[in-house]
Amino acid sequence: MDENVIKVENLVKYFDGRCVLDGINLNVPRGCIYGLLGRNGSGKTTIIRILLGLEPPTRGQTFLLDTASTELSPKLHGRIGYVAEGHNLIQNYRVGRLIKLCKDLSLQWNDEFFDHLIETFRLPTDRRVKELSIGMRAQLNLALAMAIDPELLILDDPTLGLDTVARRRFLELAIELIQQQGRTILFCSHILGDVERIADKIGILAAGKLVVDCPLEELKERVKKLRIIFPESAPANLHLTEIINQQIQGREMVITVANWNKQKQTVLDTFKPSSCTEIPMSLEDIFIECTKPNPEYIES
Amino acid sequence: MFALIKREIQDHIAYFIGAAVFSVVFIIISFSLISRYDHRKPPVFSIGFGVPAATIVIFGICAMGATQMYLDRTRKISALLSTLAVSRNQILLAKIITGILAILILFVPLTIAAGILLRLFTPPVPMFTGMVLEISVVVFLMAFACYCIGLQTGWNSSPVTPSLGALFLTCILIPLILIKGFGVHIAVILVLFIVASLIRTWHTFMKTSL
Repeated sequence: MDENVIKVENLVKYFDGRCVLDGINLNVPRGCIYGLLGRNGSGKTTIIRILLGLEPPTRGQTFLLDTASTELSPKLHGRIGYVAEGHNLIQNYRVGRLIKLCKDLSLQWNDEFFDHLIETFRLPTDRRVKELSIGMRAQLNLALAMAIDPELLILDDPTLGLDTVARRRFLELAIELIQQQGRTILFCSHILGDVERIADKIGILAAGKLVVDCPLEELKERVKKLRIIFPESAPANLHLTEIINQQIQGREMVITVANWNKQKQTVLDTFKPSSCTEIPMSLEDIFIECTKPNPEYIES
Repeated sequence: MFALIKREIQDHIAYFIGAAVFSVVFIIISFSLISRYDHRKPPVFSIGFGVPAATIVIFGICAMGATQMYLDRTRKISALLSTLAVSRNQILLAKIITGILAILILFVPLTIAAGILLRLFTPPVPMFTGMVLEISVVVFLMAFACYCIGLQTGWNSSPVTPSLGALFLTCILIPLILIKGFGVHIAVILVLFIVASLIRTWHTFMKTSL
């Protein structure tokens, strides 16, 4: 059995002649929490929809739990929990009816855990789904996805519409779920603080390409932002590879470099800078740098 | 599968009630017309009653198929269901079974009533039993063909192709029924149309983005 629960091989997707995904390769090992990041329209939801077999790819292949996405059986679907962006629920159903339908169509249903979630979220089962607030719909969708004790949980911007308390509660639940061995989570979000809190591995999509694919800690180690002061005006070109971003202002140069190492330090030293200080970067800073035009790849 | 069929029936319960009510009304009117039937007068009222009734049935059945698919598409019901332990094949099959059930609710009582009427008002000739069966099969197939057209119309954003298909079928069937009556040849054409239509619906439903 493959150790990768999610496999994406050379995935290409065009929408009306526009390339949304351009040769994506991605692996998510068992037990990993993978945070997939990207700006609006970068193709995160498209990858997830292709993975779940809801959307056909233009080229390439995707696999979930060792099976091609186009051939996922109901049995395999029963092992995957999914929270869709915008909380794709049947709007005119009463909450109770939707719960019963999902329960009837599931292979396994953890009543105890589900009831606990419904109680925690204080979801009214007698109201129609369309009468719920966005936050309540998000909670309902999450509870439905969690109730099946999924082996793989795919969350497409699950905290969208949740208030701070509900978001924190959701993250705690996600962590609780992860602690049960062997669970894998693919997690898309615009709230980078959430991703930073729970993700083991990060992927960043920009311009249809996966420009970052490595563990979070490694990413923070490898991407460096440096403020360099030169005795005279800063050189236009440092002859360094993998420069993600570069700004020059008189004697000062601020660069963001991927895969910083001793060789790059030596190259920099040949320019005899007066000082070189590292600017600490959060995941949000790295994300902003990486999603600027023409970033280079940071893959593990 | 049973949960899917149950969901379809609950969502389209109006069609089931409509079919049952129509069936009862049709039987009552038929009994009253036949009991007062005078073979010296032309059956103007019967024709005047039969044509609108057939039109309502055709449009009603077609509308059911179209509603099932249209609501599914716009409310993204299949998109949710197919992320549960259900395949697209099962979702479509549940819809079709529900459609067949609605058609049966409409026609089974009518067929039984027709059998009783023939026994009451015609001499006991075995020919009539076969005739009722043949007409019932053809009428059921016609209704199912209408339902298939509805399924296609509801899923496509452009209903031109299914409408052309319906028009083509009508152009072939009406002259055939008028010339040769209800029989195996009509049933064969209908079965072919239904198979082609279902394959097309299945193909579209399986390949499309949900």
